[in-house]
Amino acid sequence: MEPRNQIFVLGLILSVAVLLISVLISVWARRFTRSLGDYYVAGRSIGALNNGLAMVSLALSLTTFIGLTAFIIGSMYVGIAVYAAFTAAFIGLLLLAAPYLRRHKSFTTMAFIAERYDSKALRIMSVVVMLVVSVLYLAGNLKGIGIVFYWLLGVPEIWGIVVGGLVVTLYVTLGGMYGVTYNQTFQTIVLLFCLMFPVAVVLKALGAAGWAFPPLGYGNMVPAMESLQKGFAFFWPMAVHPVTYIALFLGSFFGIIGLPHFVMRYFTVRDAREARWSTVLCVFLVGLVNTTVYATGFAAVYFLNTKAVELGITVSPQHYDYMVFLLIEHLANNTWLAVAIAGSVAAGLSTVAGLLMIMGAGLVHDLYGVIKPEVGDERKLKLSYVAMFVIGILVTIFSLNPPQFILEAIMWAFGIAGAALGVPIVLGIWWKRTTKQGVAAGMITGFVIAFACFIMISYLKMDPVTIPLPFFAKYLYGPGGWIKTIAVIVPLSFIVTIVVSWLTPPPAEALQRQVDEMHGWKDYDPRRYNGKGLPITIVVLSVLIMLFMTTLYDKFPK
Amino acid sequence: MKDYKLEVRVTMICFILVAVTGGFLSAFFVIFNQFFFNEVAVPAHLAHALKSYFVVKTTVMGFPLHYLLLILLSWIGATLIGAIWSLVMDKIEDRQQT
Repeated sequence: MEPRNQIFVLGLILSVAVLLISVLISVWARRFTRSLGDYYVAGRSIGALNNGLAMVSLALSLTTFIGLTAFIIGSMYVGIAVYAAFTAAFIGLLLLAAPYLRRHKSFTTMAFIAERYDSKALRIMSVVVMLVVSVLYLAGNLKGIGIVFYWLLGVPEIWGIVVGGLVVTLYVTLGGMYGVTYNQTFQTIVLLFCLMFPVAVVLKALGAAGWAFPPLGYGNMVPAMESLQKGFAFFWPMAVHPVTYIALFLGSFFGIIGLPHFVMRYFTVRDAREARWSTVLCVFLVGLVNTTVYATGFAAVYFLNTKAVELGITVSPQHYDYMVFLLIEHLANNTWLAVAIAGSVAAGLSTVAGLLMIMGAGLVHDLYGVIKPEVGDERKLKLSYVAMFVIGILVTIFSLNPPQFILEAIMWAFGIAGAALGVPIVLGIWWKRTTKQGVAAGMITGFVIAFACFIMISYLKMDPVTIPLPFFAKYLYGPGGWIKTIAVIVPLSFIVTIVVSWLTPPPAEALQRQVDEMHGWKDYDPRRYNGKGLPITIVVLSVLIMLFMTTLYDKFPK
Repeated sequence: MKDYKLEVRVTMICFILVAVTGGFLSAFFVIFNQFFFNEVAVPAHLAHALKSYFVVKTTVMGFPLHYLLLILLSWIGATLIGAIWSLVMDKIEDRQQT
């Protein structure tokens, strides 16, 4: 596949339409913003349907179109397991955090941690962690829009990045959380339409009997797929060690709780009930899209081994990122290609918008608000407009030359967020005895080790043999880099937080009362959420997982 | 304390279920692979790359059973677990407010 040497007019028109509608929605939504609460959490007025749809587009970044199909082609069954874990992780977020965070009435994850543990130091530490994971998550999303413009629309990449960056900056700055929410709702509808229909057309062309329902419509093609030389690994969970799946569970379940731009959505809903049902809607739609993407990965492998051979089409592995578009171009037509391109632009915008929102809120509300507590809400609101605009411009400049990896950076973001922010959130909701000293120790341990591993493995591309510290080589380096690290840092963060909390004096009753309030109790009972069963179970399970990862790893049959 | 215990127990059971459906399920497919696969001789053309070779035992709607289970449990299964948990929590919340 080569970049287009002439402009794809229909694709450009639809993509520009998506960009324009996004700005118009924000201009319309601006009328609702009158206070700082309106700007950051949409006045806590969002309903379950709206929030559920907005969460879907936040969850499905540009990797849904670019990267994920390549990941499935490259890693076969593991690629499917990653997104199965990611889909179900939303229910983990629901059970352990979502409605309780809503009842806490914070603006952000960082504010929750600071207020739950009464610590300014923890607020600043969590802002730093938030910035790191947001940048990791952001890396590549705007760049991806540029790639779409260059490869698929025939417009220079820089124009895609600059126009995409400016549009998203404009609509986040203008509309605040109202603009972001209504835009994400619109983008989810666009994304569902632009993915489901073109994939159905592709499956029909490949001969899938149930093409009208892509998630489960390709069963009749499976026997042919199994007989293909490379088809075996698509259905082989044994292709990797079982600890890989444990790492996926830990990274996705606790990572999603720790990622501040996901959690922020819960502060916008009307009440805990709306938070619960919005997540149920979200997981259903995310599952629908993810199973459709599996179908696309399956179709891509099938296509590469059958029709592509017949037609004499060769696709080099570095171009697998564009497989969704390539399939549509060869098996559907240019109209569907234009629709899919517009959908990918919408997917890229929604994730960037969510990240900009949390970065702005973190810097103005959580950082500046602590440094200058005397500043009033009105001034903070004005500052928020300026901060959001400046952050948007900086992110656009950063995106002109980001690290190349997209999906791998997101995996690291999940791991770091899970260990450094997910653990204090879960324990802060479910165990009253958690102390600020415990959280600080767990957060520092999780963040420092995870970030050091990220730098060595992913950024410096160190090999286990050349890593100068034997500890890292022996215990933390594993297949895929992030897999073994995540399976160690999340349990380690839990152990450190719980043990240090036990060794330090219990928190004040006012802080413990917050736990009962988060669970909806009108009265306070010190016996609730204060037993030894939960922390002991977590420590035992964490030790077992770490033992398995660090000592039994090589002994277990692969 | 009755509603508190109900909340904790239902949450714990639902979390274990969703952890299995979304996270650990594939690990079980590896550990208990004899339930889903027959191990057969490695085909000659793959002998250079593989030490073992497996053939799926059961298919449903054309899909290998374990693959269909993964897709359905991590999607419909997880959604149902979330919905059931939300219904129970709605009831508890109603009682808390009266």
